Amino acid sequence: MAEKFDNLEEHLEKFIENIRQLGIIVSDFQPSSQAGLNQKLNFMISGLQDIEKCRQQLHEINVPLEVFEYIDQGRNPQLYTKECLERALARNEQVKGKIDTMTKFKSLLISELSKVFPEDMAKYKAIHGEDAPS
Amino acid sequence: MTEMFSTLYGQNEAQAPPGASSLGFGPGKPPPPLQQNQASMPGQMPPQLGDEGPALRKPGAMNEPFYLLRELPVGNELTGNTNLITHYNLEHAYNKFCGKKVKEKLSNFLPELPGMIDCPGTQDGSSLRSLIDKPPVCGNSFSPLTGALLTGFRLHTGPLPEQYRLMHIQPPKKKSKHKHKHHRPQDPLPQETPSDSDPKKKKKKRDDDPDRKKKKKDKKKKKNRHSPDHPGLAGSQPNSNSLR
Repeated sequence: MAEKFDNLEEHLEKFIENIRQLGIIVSDFQPSSQAGLNQKLNFMISGLQDIEKCRQQLHEINVPLEVFEYIDQGRNPQLYTKECLERALARNEQVKGKIDTMTKFKSLLISELSKVFPEDMAKYKAIHGEDAPS
Repeated sequence: MTEMFSTLYGQNEAQAPPGASSLGFGPGKPPPPLQQNQASMPGQMPPQLGDEGPALRKPGAMNEPFYLLRELPVGNELTGNTNLITHYNLEHAYNKFCGKKVKEKLSNFLPELPGMIDCPGTQDGSSLRSLIDKPPVCGNSFSPLTGALLTGFRLHTGPLPEQYRLMHIQPPKKKSKHKHKHHRPQDPLPQETPSDSDPKKKKKKRDDDPDRKKKKKDKKKKKNRHSPDHPGLAGSQPNSNSLR
């Protein structure tokens, strides 16, 4: 998987570098630069062909739309990953807290109900077992 | 059982709160009317719309006094009870992104990318969102430009107008001048003696030298004064003797 990304990254870097050099040639154009410009233009086309080839290899990759928003705002997309991980951990802790509380509540309820309704609770335990999964 | 509840809560008539009865927990209240094609069975919970939870217990197991009994969730099911970051081996990613401060700007993520990339993409129409909203024409293959086609790219000589020189604009980089200063004392590289390496100190030492010489001279003078060989001290001795 990583090789596919490396391949695309390499092609993109080459493409960007070619565009940068093209920009330099164009920014102060001299008649002698025409041959170099033509070469760069064809490099650009071959670069686009290479990127097009990479597209087929990365067909199953899904990128969250929020990442695009981060990039469009000029923000580091790693911040998205960071926020996702933080959110996931916070939610994980919240749910764990709820589960723990409910588990405690269940055991407390069973013990209290067993005091008041011993016969019914005996039947209940017969159906569900003593140590039912929480 | 109803009697026991009533004695517990001190009620003569067993009346459940409206909320409870509407949820189906009421003791003896009839279930809400069912549709014509649905037959209600005694001791069975009315089917709930959109409820895709675990199936109800088998009718045989649903003995009195229990109804609404469901299968308990399977114990080995993955829930929020387990640390999901550890479960999916994401500790490394968590430590990488959440352990230290991630720089805010896009240019910190792509430092080699030329141009001003920290500006919002909507300003110059370079946003990725616009690519999704208006996808480019795809499907045509890329073919190299032949000689005839390249004639369309003959440019005028001379520099480009200012407004088109976007490639040269780079985000300002922070100077590490202060940092360098702070790290200097910790730098293990310089092996010279402090007097050799630091010109300020050297100068100061040179400046101090005349004072030092003066002080030394004064000390010498004092010593000589108190020493028995000193002529001043010898002269004073008699005076003290004369007092006796």
